[in-house]
Amino acid sequence: MPTSASASDSSVAVSATRRHSDLLPRLASSDGLVQVKALRELKNRIIGNRTKKLSFIKLGLVPAVADILASKADAGDGRHSDLLIQSAAVVGSFACGFDAGVHAVLDAGVFPSLVRLLSHLDEKVVDAGARSLRMIYQSKLAPKYDFLQQKNMEFLLSLLNSENENVTGLGASIIMHSCETVAEQKALCQAGVLKKLISLLKGSLSQRDASLESLATIIKNNVEAVSEFVGSDSGRALSSVIELTKDRYPRTRLLASVCLIVIRNTCPCYLQDIGIKTKLVYLLLELHDDPGQVGDEASFAFCTLIAGREDLQKLAFEANAIDKLYNHLQKGALHPKRVEGILLAMAELCSKLDSCRFKFISLKALDLVINGLTQDSAGVRAAACICLKSVSRSIKSLCAGDFMNEMIVIPLVQLLDDSCTSVQESIFGELEASSLASLVSDSEPLVQEQALALVRNLVDGCVNCIEFVFAENGIILDAVGRQLQSIPKVEIGIQGMYLLCNVASGNEFHKEAVMHQLVPQAENGTQSFMIKFLQSSDSQLRTAAVWTIINLTFPSVPGAFGRLVKLRNAGIISQVKTMVNDPCLEVKLRIRTALAQFMTSDDGSI
Amino acid sequence: MSLFWIVIRQLAEIEAMATSKKVITREEWEKKLNDVKIRKEDMNKLVMNFLVTEGYVEAAEKFRMESGTEPDIDLATITDRMAVKKAVQCGNVEDAIEKVNDLNPEILDTNPQLFFHLQQQRLIELIRNGKVEEALEFAQEELAPRGEENQSFLEELERTVALLAFEDVSNCPVGELLDIQQRLKTASEVNAAILTSQSHEKDPKLPSLLKMLIWAQKQLDEKAAYPRINDLSKAMLEDPAV
Repeated sequence: MPTSASASDSSVAVSATRRHSDLLPRLASSDGLVQVKALRELKNRIIGNRTKKLSFIKLGLVPAVADILASKADAGDGRHSDLLIQSAAVVGSFACGFDAGVHAVLDAGVFPSLVRLLSHLDEKVVDAGARSLRMIYQSKLAPKYDFLQQKNMEFLLSLLNSENENVTGLGASIIMHSCETVAEQKALCQAGVLKKLISLLKGSLSQRDASLESLATIIKNNVEAVSEFVGSDSGRALSSVIELTKDRYPRTRLLASVCLIVIRNTCPCYLQDIGIKTKLVYLLLELHDDPGQVGDEASFAFCTLIAGREDLQKLAFEANAIDKLYNHLQKGALHPKRVEGILLAMAELCSKLDSCRFKFISLKALDLVINGLTQDSAGVRAAACICLKSVSRSIKSLCAGDFMNEMIVIPLVQLLDDSCTSVQESIFGELEASSLASLVSDSEPLVQEQALALVRNLVDGCVNCIEFVFAENGIILDAVGRQLQSIPKVEIGIQGMYLLCNVASGNEFHKEAVMHQLVPQAENGTQSFMIKFLQSSDSQLRTAAVWTIINLTFPSVPGAFGRLVKLRNAGIISQVKTMVNDPCLEVKLRIRTALAQFMTSDDGSI
Repeated sequence: MSLFWIVIRQLAEIEAMATSKKVITREEWEKKLNDVKIRKEDMNKLVMNFLVTEGYVEAAEKFRMESGTEPDIDLATITDRMAVKKAVQCGNVEDAIEKVNDLNPEILDTNPQLFFHLQQQRLIELIRNGKVEEALEFAQEELAPRGEENQSFLEELERTVALLAFEDVSNCPVGELLDIQQRLKTASEVNAAILTSQSHEKDPKLPSLLKMLIWAQKQLDEKAAYPRINDLSKAMLEDPAV
């Protein structure tokens, strides 16, 4: 990440300039041996070292290397093998796991030169070219490969049919990077790619892994492709993937289980056997023990396994998933990716089952989640919000008295007898209004959206719960109002609007506070965001906005008329009146309710 | 691992028979062992796997000629791998890094922990050779940015730099970093990474088979007295103590 490199960046750049300023002329030398030496030196400087990669990119070394590749890539006679191997390795390293590097490499136009290396006579040159291209294809920035063109498909097949492992690996990476649409999945299946990948399941370690990953890409959400795969070799292809979930390599076990999850989620009719479900639950929980990338990715796979499926969430609960995930989360110094994944998995577990939520609360796991709200990583912050939202649903159930007979609920119910703010204080411990407000104003839209959804959830229900957004002088409500002035995406508008809608369902004080956010106090000519929302092309946003107006103008409360006048002066009422024939039925119905309310309060002036 | 399952099956049979501890004589035991058929080729493969994984390239070559067993990896790559391992063991870490990068530039680029350990070993060698200034500059330029990227690297880096604070490094709390064991540890980490990058298993099968033998004997001890293998290097059956 460029951010983590920044602190020492300048000093390294200076010393790199001082010591390696001669690299550029050496790369441009007419003597091939001088060039090879310079390339090798550059390669050894940058491998594993992001800071150096960045400073050498700034020194403009990538185009110099690209020039060597472009001028020598066509000479298939073996004279320039060394130059090509070293320059391809340098380019590959610049592009390895580092978006700025991929940018620089693509901008320098190395792509066609690297592709030419694949047909070189020297196998080592082919290796080097394939490795570099694979590095590029691992980045989101790589150009999309168009499978629908006949010649491209032929080229891809030639890669997959190669004897060279690096080349077949490249073929698999291209599929993983570029296969996105059903049409592309279909084209790949028809061209025989599925069959080829199935045969690679019997290949070497790296071929097996690459094959599993591309298979998952090709069959995902595509019923036809899944059926073709399941039926292949009279079911042997599926059996071999099931067998690979017992492989001795954790990465292979993970990829095999991801493949099975994709099959199941696409066609629920397959893999119904309870044995397989239980096995996947245990396997993915066990893979969390891997200290590396596999452990980081295991929770994301686990999420896709249990997402929205109560049966699997129950199995996971019985497998002590909450305790296991909690134990992992408790260990300090975890990679942010891992924290994010575990929080998302916890959120998924607590999304439906109260048994999970109680377990979660009894472990005091909330402290760890709250901790997550203030982490540097936006992914972690968003995941912590989602997790809180899931767990906070149990409060709602408690308010509704759904499971008062459960022994475990009693202490919680006692808290509920108190005012709702204190429930939040007890249950949400150190969750402070200010930290939530800062999440509402977070720079990441996803974090904003989740934070708003969390608050919306909190204020949904009993009237006293609404007090929560007024803590610390209404810091949360102000933050919400500010965010709604300009929304980066419509989902944020929807969450924010429903939040205000819930608050507007409260008492006079609550309603007035919402008015304060909706109608700009100073008549500075700014239009209320309500108008924009009512005119939005998103029907959900329109619905939320009209609901808020209904709550604000609910008749037979003292302030209703005053609010109606304010809304009229802000131009909101006339906008509502134009919407009587809104194309969305839901909106249309709400508009009519609102208009009926206006009539009730009307003294003829509206 | 067919051998392993044979042992397990026998264990199960014995378990079924015995309610109290059963005594099995050497004669009975050997008869049972003779009933187990193991193919010579499988034994040879096991040996070849050990030689290849551990990097005994000459022995592997000889064994191939004598037994006709084909290694599952190109023997030339073993020589390269051994050269890397040896370089680390001798303290020529920079040389080792360059050799790994020549072999496959992906290994250190995609394995930050291994890369850090190699750079750490390089720092240790500089300190060992009393090149204090060079060591400090190296730590600052090469290792500190890695520490910024990863908390646990930072802790290891601090431990390593602490070596500079002691007059008598052999007697200081972090002295074990200078031990030959540290070099061997780093060397075997590189060795494993290279093997994995070549799609080869990083551990030979033979030691895990022996571990299984020890485990199986321990299980059996609870059920029966039988001729045991106590000395693994000789693999002699020793009469049960009755």
